[in-house]
Amino acid sequence: MRPQRPSLPAAPRRALSSWLLGAALVALVVASFASLPLQFAAFFTAEAASSTAEFLAGFAPPEMAPAFLRKTLLAAAETLSMSAIGTLLAVAGGLTLSLAAAGRFGAVARGATRALLNVLRSIPELVWASLLLVAAGLGPFAGTLALAAHTSGVLGRLFADALENAEPLPEASLRTNGASPMAAFLYATLPQTLPQMLSYTLYRWENNIRAAAVLGVVGAGGLGQMLKYHLSLFQMQNAATVISAMLLLVALVDAVSFALRRALTR
Amino acid sequence: MLELRDLSKTYNGRTVLDRLSHRFGSGEFIAIMGESGVGKSTLLNLIAGLDAPAGGEILVDGQAMSALDDDAATRLRRTRMGFIFQAFHVLPHLTLEQNVALPLLLNGEGAAYQPGKGRAAEMLEAVGLGGRGGDFPRQLSGGEMQRVAIARALVHRPALVLADEPTGNLDPETASSILELLRKEIKASGASAIMVTHSHAAAEQADKTLVLTRQGLHLASDVR
Repeated sequence: MRPQRPSLPAAPRRALSSWLLGAALVALVVASFASLPLQFAAFFTAEAASSTAEFLAGFAPPEMAPAFLRKTLLAAAETLSMSAIGTLLAVAGGLTLSLAAAGRFGAVARGATRALLNVLRSIPELVWASLLLVAAGLGPFAGTLALAAHTSGVLGRLFADALENAEPLPEASLRTNGASPMAAFLYATLPQTLPQMLSYTLYRWENNIRAAAVLGVVGAGGLGQMLKYHLSLFQMQNAATVISAMLLLVALVDAVSFALRRALTR
Repeated sequence: MLELRDLSKTYNGRTVLDRLSHRFGSGEFIAIMGESGVGKSTLLNLIAGLDAPAGGEILVDGQAMSALDDDAATRLRRTRMGFIFQAFHVLPHLTLEQNVALPLLLNGEGAAYQPGKGRAAEMLEAVGLGGRGGDFPRQLSGGEMQRVAIARALVHRPALVLADEPTGNLDPETASSILELLRKEIKASGASAIMVTHSHAAAEQADKTLVLTRQGLHLASDVR
């Protein structure tokens, strides 16, 4: 007798609702293309290609005068500082708010804090910067505060979720053993969530270095402010140097952050 | 050292413990058995001050638990009681020795703690884990983790050890060796101990077995 070949059971049939959902998504994508005046034909003409090439050629060669490079380096340091201090302030703010948002001070405080975190992160950094420029004036201080405000909302929410998802028994057992609420939290729950929190923080720092570069465009200092200045004067070679510095800075921070996150999760 | 006076507890209108009275002798190792839902773990939580009775009183060394505020009850648990749980509750990010030393640190004796020396290392040695103080809980079997939990429960020389199904997660052979160890260490420390268990084999290690029923706590020999 020939052995029977093992076979997998038939895949479950898709429900009608799955097909309808898929069709609705396709219709949405088609409607999006139809509703926007996307002139792909004009984009791929010889005229468009030639004017783009002419525009890009204006960026070469990047400005390499030592005085300008020094100025760019200082602006890069300012952008780096904005992102680092903004992230640091956000960690302090986010961690403080996350305790209440994780329900440690009751349901009312949890709801109110989560609403506050929603507001903080719903407003983009660029809008925060525009608002804070009025209060803090032009320069990196407003940019730093803008990053801190938005990132506090993001990190607060992520930290709160990490705290809520932490295994509760270690903290409960420490409380049973007579540890104070603070000691039980510090010994049992915080160490559980710390690697995750550090990983979130580094990831947000990566985002913030990019955001800090853009924030300068609204006058919040750093490379972005330099870029806006030179672009508005059509000094494309200077702009090319600034853009290169942005790319290098972002790549550097990404690499450092990636290495740190890998070390943490090992 | 421990006395229950007319102790009652209700949950959602259901009476779990009804006017329970008992005096536990000093230095005794007591096993409490009983059907599921009869209130064994509730009784343990009441004794630990983790839950408040609906009526009656618990006296520890003549001191009424109801007279203690939260801070005082926490302090009492920290200094006078040791706990052993079914699920071990060993902290995964601390070494074995740090886990054992935790009650000392919580009692403000952290300055005297030196890795590899002192009371925590002594207790690890006593439970057969000498020289492994630097290991982490993930490197241990269930039985070894319960050994760490026993060392942790006794490291600060508590007067009363409360154990809730300490061998519930262990195979019979490991459970038997853990119970022998528990008895030996409790007797060596001079502490009183109350162990809630479903296991007759576990109860045999105790000096006395009490059975909790709706009518109260009775000697097992009287119930049979």
